[in-house]
Amino acid sequence: MAEKLILIIDDDEDIIEMVTLLLENEGYKISSAYNVERGIEMIREEKPDLVLLDIMFPEKKTRGFEAAAQIKELHSDLPIFAFTAINREYSFDFSKEEIQADEFINKPVATEKLLELMKKYI
Amino acid sequence: MKTFEFSNLHMVIEWFIKLRWIACAGVFLTLLVFSTLIGINLPYKVLFSANFILACANFSYYLYLMKIKRKVLTDREKKSFLHIQIISDYIILLTLVYFTGYLENPLIFYLIFHIMLTSFLFSEKKLIIYTALTVFIIIGIALLQLKKILPYYPLSPQGDSCGYFDRILIRTGGITSVLIISAYLISSIKDRIDYKGKLCEVELNRYKSLDKVKSNFILQVTHELRGPLAAVMGYHEILLKGLTGEISPKSKDILIKANRRTDNLLTMIGEMIDFAYMKSEKEILCEEKRLSMHDLISENISLIRDPAQKKGIDITFNCSKNITVHANRDLMNMILGNLLTNSVKYSKRGGSVSLACSVKKDEILLIVSDEGIGIKDDELEKIFEEFYRTRTARSLEKDGTGLGLAIVQRAVNSLHGRIQVFSQLNKGTEFHIYLPLMEKHKEAADGRKIDIDN
Repeated sequence: MAEKLILIIDDDEDIIEMVTLLLENEGYKISSAYNVERGIEMIREEKPDLVLLDIMFPEKKTRGFEAAAQIKELHSDLPIFAFTAINREYSFDFSKEEIQADEFINKPVATEKLLELMKKYI
Repeated sequence: MKTFEFSNLHMVIEWFIKLRWIACAGVFLTLLVFSTLIGINLPYKVLFSANFILACANFSYYLYLMKIKRKVLTDREKKSFLHIQIISDYIILLTLVYFTGYLENPLIFYLIFHIMLTSFLFSEKKLIIYTALTVFIIIGIALLQLKKILPYYPLSPQGDSCGYFDRILIRTGGITSVLIISAYLISSIKDRIDYKGKLCEVELNRYKSLDKVKSNFILQVTHELRGPLAAVMGYHEILLKGLTGEISPKSKDILIKANRRTDNLLTMIGEMIDFAYMKSEKEILCEEKRLSMHDLISENISLIRDPAQKKGIDITFNCSKNITVHANRDLMNMILGNLLTNSVKYSKRGGSVSLACSVKKDEILLIVSDEGIGIKDDELEKIFEEFYRTRTARSLEKDGTGLGLAIVQRAVNSLHGRIQVFSQLNKGTEFHIYLPLMEKHKEAADGRKIDIDN
């Protein structure tokens, strides 16, 4: 079985480093992007199997939830896991149903739960 | 023109109708006594008819009020309804007084009450019109009586024994000046009250905006704190898993402690964010949907499963799949999450926590009970206060904000529900939460805003 490639899109280097370490340990290949534009480029170039996307991006240009919609438009069968800092709908300016993510992962990341969910998709 | 005391015109109309019923009964009884016991010759037919008209008018106002209760009328429409009522009151009172001795009848001073109500309800301009018209009509009738164009109905059996016509001008002057002075006095008193009310309003708004700034600040700060803490916890995990090389058991022990305290800190920050949100009155809190109680409960239980398993606590729940609640998801999660967390946190090892959800009449009853440390009677009232933690809770768990139940209570209030608590020290605690089954109409939604403010 080929190594599965996971793409992490997050502006926090530490989170990327942390998740990379944790997932590489579980035998996944990881690439990362610090912003949405770069992330979408990488999806085209590297064709990852799953995307971990921070939807609480502070970026003004492309918000996390818009990014999810963009990615889904280009690659409708690519699973997206959305990272959120808190698990309340009020922390978004939109409702959870509007975000085109397959799963929501609450920070701090519970590794076991994340792995369990990932196995369901890839 | 806003009069803060009478801002709810609907209640004023209701109150008017109530007063008019009393007036109606009073007039009827007085007429009855006069016509049977005291032998004064008065046009009773006319008087009883006027009384009857008053009753009929009031009954139709009552019917109209019942009809408009379901509709939302503008203040303008309500005011014109009030104008109709007040004008009919003036006419009927003047009729009654005219046929019972007119200026001789002390009841003519009841016009002062009408002037009082008029000045409280309407603007100064309208008050002047009302007062001027009343004064003009009183003088007009008196002059017509003096010229013998309009008949005079004496109040005494002896007819014009008191020299009515000798004093008619003095009496007219008396009553009209009293009316004008009372109109003036009441409207100036009202101005002063309005002024004070406006000052209060300005102060209240200032205070509210300060509170909002404070809440937004807390929100911002707590949000910024969560990110770094989440990273810290991730690094702890990497070290604990030995991904960076073996660590000694002693180091592992210390890392576990560090991780636990960080986790507690994150929970506390979460509670503070919730609390700040409840206070900052975000519009989003009003967004309500039909939610399945069964799903809400099982979602929240799954979130608490890990810590519960660690303490060997068994969580059971009983909820029929078809119970739904019309509510905001965040508020429901705050209620369930905080109550469950508390139950697990303040239970001894091997205890049990149970949830039950049922429908009682037009309410949903949610019961969360545990076999934990319980709450002392004298502390029961205080547990919903912000930042309050009971002595026993503090001795069992060092970390905690004391905000959990304050959040629960605010959330329950926002959903127009109520909460009860029953507890016995060392035996356990039971929370009963009642939530309305149906959507509350708009009036209730307005009321909620006040709850949040308070």
